[in-house]
Amino acid sequence: MNNQIQWAYAYNQWKYSWQDFARVDDNLRALKVTSACGFRALELCGGTGPWNPLGRPESIALNFGSAAKFKLALQDCGIDAISSTFYDPTLLSFEELHHGLMPTRIADHAAILATARLHAEFLAEVGGSCLVVRPFPAFAAEGALDAARMQAGADCWNTVGAMTRALGLHTVLHIDALSALRTTEELDQLLGMTDSACVNLAIDTAELTIAGHDVVDLYRRYHARVRHFHFKDALAIDTLGEYRLPNAERAMILAGGERKIRRWFSEMGTPEGLVDFPSLLRAMKELRYTGWIIVESDKGPQPAASGMMLNGWYLQRVLKPLLA
Amino acid sequence: MLATGDIMTEQKPNLRWAYMDHWRIDTDQGQVSQYSSLERFDAFVKQIAALGFEGIETFDFHLGVIKELFGTLEDCRAFLQERGIDRVLSLFHAIMYDKRQSAPHVRETHDRIVNYAEYVAKSAAGLGVENLIVMPAGQYHDLEPVTDEKIRACAEVWSRVGKVTLDYGIRTCCHHEFYCGIHHAEEIRKFYEWSDPRYVYWYCDTAQHVIAGVDPVDLYVRLHDRCGGFHLKDTHNVDRSGDYRRRPESEVTAPTTRRWFWEMGTDEGLVDFPALFNAMKEFTYRGWVSVEHDKADFGGGNYPESTAVAAWYIQNVLKKIYA
Repeated sequence: MNNQIQWAYAYNQWKYSWQDFARVDDNLRALKVTSACGFRALELCGGTGPWNPLGRPESIALNFGSAAKFKLALQDCGIDAISSTFYDPTLLSFEELHHGLMPTRIADHAAILATARLHAEFLAEVGGSCLVVRPFPAFAAEGALDAARMQAGADCWNTVGAMTRALGLHTVLHIDALSALRTTEELDQLLGMTDSACVNLAIDTAELTIAGHDVVDLYRRYHARVRHFHFKDALAIDTLGEYRLPNAERAMILAGGERKIRRWFSEMGTPEGLVDFPSLLRAMKELRYTGWIIVESDKGPQPAASGMMLNGWYLQRVLKPLLA
Repeated sequence: MLATGDIMTEQKPNLRWAYMDHWRIDTDQGQVSQYSSLERFDAFVKQIAALGFEGIETFDFHLGVIKELFGTLEDCRAFLQERGIDRVLSLFHAIMYDKRQSAPHVRETHDRIVNYAEYVAKSAAGLGVENLIVMPAGQYHDLEPVTDEKIRACAEVWSRVGKVTLDYGIRTCCHHEFYCGIHHAEEIRKFYEWSDPRYVYWYCDTAQHVIAGVDPVDLYVRLHDRCGGFHLKDTHNVDRSGDYRRRPESEVTAPTTRRWFWEMGTDEGLVDFPALFNAMKEFTYRGWVSVEHDKADFGGGNYPESTAVAAWYIQNVLKKIYA
């Protein structure tokens, strides 16, 4: 079992504004920090613009020369593998000239597939295994899912899933705290409409806890379809249903909502943390989970290295002994 | 295939790694010390342990607050050990260098220096302390002109201190800041020649020596049998204009250089760490090696990132030479 779980770190906590963290040397330094904390694999985060040297395959080619040279540069920094790439189609793209695509909108599917293919082909070339996608927009964008939007979303990801399968990859659906998909009934429906051979589920422990789920129960219920994890802790639950707020990313996550929550996400092992990682890992061991676990900081306080070091300690001293 | 009777054993490493602590933490109250609360100290220790360090070093003036936080120093050590840190390896002895009470080159102040060092050594029981690190003379401008007689006086007092601290199981180790009264190669040579080798050890601070124009590798080769440990840090600047003479304290107020010290692994670094580790291998150094980040937050840096980059350098460069 132990050898079949692999650990990586998400690469999304270093960049705080459009133009910062744009230099390759700053990125290489961040990769060394990642490696020093015990994480020798990386989940890339799809990005946009000329200030994001690891955000898109063409940016990587521009800054490193090629996928092969990029892998060598990673190895020089002590990063042995790329596990996955996170792709959120609802974010704007300078390259594709849009302000966000909707998986719930059939007219957007071709463009989503094209960008997903771009990331997936690169991922296959560097030996990754999962394309992690945001399956639905935030609730506030279009309201609750109806049958048509659910069907459109399922169709979109089945198409993407078939494309990634042909490349030897999985597509995994990462449902976040603000997602239009809220309930296990909706999740049952979505999974029933998607092809288990190529479209499966990513569990993000913090996002789903904030959304009101017990992630251990959730994993037990869906374990046959779970192929990916994001491990981060949550410090509060959205008990007021503020995912409904217009621009909830700003109003709830960044501004803290009515309760002025200062921080929703935290490092594993935070005393106030709500996620029971040991119970989850025991369940994963019992149910023979194999695959990647991506540890994630996601909006941690500066300095970014500090959160990674705390996560590294928790992994080394608490979680890995549970797998021994 | 092993022959009958062979025993497979895991080779014990020659080196253990410690971290000399200058951290500050950003909080809603501004930057504060990690000794300001148990939670902050806990987070600090976990971060250090996560990078593979097994010991920490700190200043002797933290002994009081450690007792406040933990009740006893033994409880503090147990707390450290639960998190992967074996001990407080060294205390940096913070002396008020002043001719009225504590100036190593002034013999009239020696009794007080010895008594204070003994008080600290005695007070440290329970933490596992092995070294008391001292700057063996005041600032250069306090000693000028640096005469043989002044160096002899310094050698005498640290020989006395070293004998006393050894009674508590603690070695006295001298650490030569680039603005210390004893920092030129010839001053260092005389100091170790005239101090008692049974009681006075040399602590090799790589950046301080390079800033002072002294090659720490060459020094290690000559003083390896006196070496009590290392502070590995890098610098991007050599003091070519006599900053070491400047008042009030050239380490922080020199007009030429805002930040003297850098973590290992920066492109501009001047310390030849691979050469040092080859020398340590040649002389079979066994024991602790410490990483120090002094004022790593100057100019927008931060301690956690500097520490992780240094740990990367240890894991990917130094351990391949000697471990």
